[in-house]
Amino acid sequence: MIPAFFRNLFRDLVRQPLRTFLTLSGVTWGTFAVILLLAFGTGIGKQQMKQFRGMGQGIILVFPGQTTMTYNGLPKGRRIQVTPDELELVKKRVPGIRTLSPEFISSRNIRYGREQLLNTVRGVDVPFERIRNTIPAQGRFINETDVRQHRRNCFLGATIAKSLFKGMKPVGQQVMIEGVPFTVIGVMIEKDQNSNYNGMRDTHCAFIPWTTYMTLYGEKYVQNFIVQPGDPALSKQTIAALRNYFGGRLGFNPLDKDALFVWDFSDFERQFNLFFTAFNIFLGVIGSFTLLVGGVGVASIMLVVVEERIREIGIKLAVGAKRRAIMWQFFAEANCIILIGGAIGFLLAALLLTLLPAEQLEEYIGIPRLNPLVGIVTVLILLAIGTLSGLTPARRAAATDPIVALRK
Amino acid sequence: MIEFRNISKVYKMGEVEFVALKGVFITVRQGEFLSIMGPSGSGKSTLMNIIGCLDTPTEGFYYLEGENVAGLTFDQLSTIRNRKVGFVFQNFNLLPYATAYENIELPMLFNGKKAGARRQRVSELLEMVGLSPWARHRPTEMSGGQQQRVAIARALAMDPPIILADEPTGNLDSKSGHEIMEIFSRLWKGGRTILMVTHDPAIAAFSQSTIRLLDGAVQQDGAAT
Ligand SMILES: Nc1ncnc2c1ncn2[C@@H]1O[C@H](COP(=O)(O)OP(=O)(O)O)[C@@H](O)[C@H]1O
Ligand SMILES: [Mg+2]
Repeated sequence: MIPAFFRNLFRDLVRQPLRTFLTLSGVTWGTFAVILLLAFGTGIGKQQMKQFRGMGQGIILVFPGQTTMTYNGLPKGRRIQVTPDELELVKKRVPGIRTLSPEFISSRNIRYGREQLLNTVRGVDVPFERIRNTIPAQGRFINETDVRQHRRNCFLGATIAKSLFKGMKPVGQQVMIEGVPFTVIGVMIEKDQNSNYNGMRDTHCAFIPWTTYMTLYGEKYVQNFIVQPGDPALSKQTIAALRNYFGGRLGFNPLDKDALFVWDFSDFERQFNLFFTAFNIFLGVIGSFTLLVGGVGVASIMLVVVEERIREIGIKLAVGAKRRAIMWQFFAEANCIILIGGAIGFLLAALLLTLLPAEQLEEYIGIPRLNPLVGIVTVLILLAIGTLSGLTPARRAAATDPIVALRK
Repeated sequence: MIEFRNISKVYKMGEVEFVALKGVFITVRQGEFLSIMGPSGSGKSTLMNIIGCLDTPTEGFYYLEGENVAGLTFDQLSTIRNRKVGFVFQNFNLLPYATAYENIELPMLFNGKKAGARRQRVSELLEMVGLSPWARHRPTEMSGGQQQRVAIARALAMDPPIILADEPTGNLDSKSGHEIMEIFSRLWKGGRTILMVTHDPAIAAFSQSTIRLLDGAVQQDGAAT
């Protein structure tokens, strides 16, 4: 029975090559489209997420600002200012904080030999490395001793290191920042990052201990600080706790959003994920419609096949086939056609994805891959289309009146 | 074994109604060999189709081995066609793309018989109709007589007690026709009930008794030949 099934299938396919070609190409094209759309969709999503995570994962950025509400008799428009000492207390007193780092930022003149640049210098604390993923490619990041002893050590972004040292090894060299000598202790890896704050991406910055920054440039208040919450899922609670704490300490209404301007990356990430899931579903639906057109083709071909094989159906019913047996036969045949077309589409899409010059496109659209999820979703869509397009012809076949069929 | 009580069959073609059978009473006992004669269009095939559960009567009662067939579902009728009656048609009705072997095997595929049992039964039947060397041939490669013998073997696949043959020799030369009739005679002697439609008195002569149909009604019953 199984070999007979495949012989019938083969015969139906070979009998009219043009018809078969058109039917299969409809399904092939649909599958091809679904896979490419999903592969590119997930590729773009992953790439965006990766660049976005260049900022650090699940972090909270806090910028002290100005009050816009009166509070306990205090007027609006007061500046809110935060000192590093205050942040030390925050670490201990506000729940849900794993670690944090102050940030001081200004534009400074940096020189090495004859090379001279105006670039961003940031005074930060040790945890900055972990929070913001400023991973060293060479040397190390700022450590506790640097901070405690106000050392004149600096850690350079990849771009700035390249411009100053032109391929020479920077670690151990001396650079002049505003005429003061600093020792280069490390250089950051190149990283993809599609968002930033305070104007400069990490790769263009020089990082120094915040204590050094304060003494050299006479700054008392932080520009902003970065918090890594214990649980990014609870970032909303952590932010509320921060607003409450500072409201009490510095005298502002905790509901005054502008007193502390907060950028919650884990919230952003959640929305981002949601958006890309929706985006992929959208692409999948578009692809499915293309595939649906192929499925309609298969359904109409199968209706013709049922008509062509009506005598065979009549004979089978006459010798005792049940309706279900006839139904299965044509249902399975429709699904086989869909699967053959789908397999060809799958192979073509896989081939294209392999041949694609992915490295050149990676920065913009990521690497479109045939990952298992895309495969599973495509197979599910194919099965759904197969079911839809097989059902009508199979029902039609099963409803055959044997007397009528045998008279033909 | 087969009992028709006042069976009528009316075909509706739009507004027009055509009465193919009018109040037919027939009783066929087990082991009988009955031939049915009558002019073309007299309702012979309609009668056979109803007996073989391929068609259902418009009116009247049909008892097959004591069971009222009227209340059965399509799938239950399929089971009857599979096990109780073997149909032999004038135009053979073999699957053109299947071999003799596969055609004979067909009825056994619809009730879950094991592959080994099927193989054995098919070779038995091929042997019985004298076609063992033709197992791998398709109907198009065979003579009419050989095709009809394949069809008989297929009808016997599930070892049904009743054989229904609607003009089984109608498309054959007289020599092949006689070969077919010898097989039917053997089957009858082996205890099967056989109903056969024919135009040819020489063919009808193989049966025990003949009934004649005219315009959908039975003319005379049980005239021994
Ligand atoms: N499905 C049908 N629809 C309409 N008329 C039919 C149908 N089947 C048979 N008939 C008519 O019923 C009459 C009897 O047919 P049939 O039983 O095949 O006669 P016979 O086999 O004796 O030649 C014929 O006139 C035929 O045209
Ligand atoms: Mg007839």
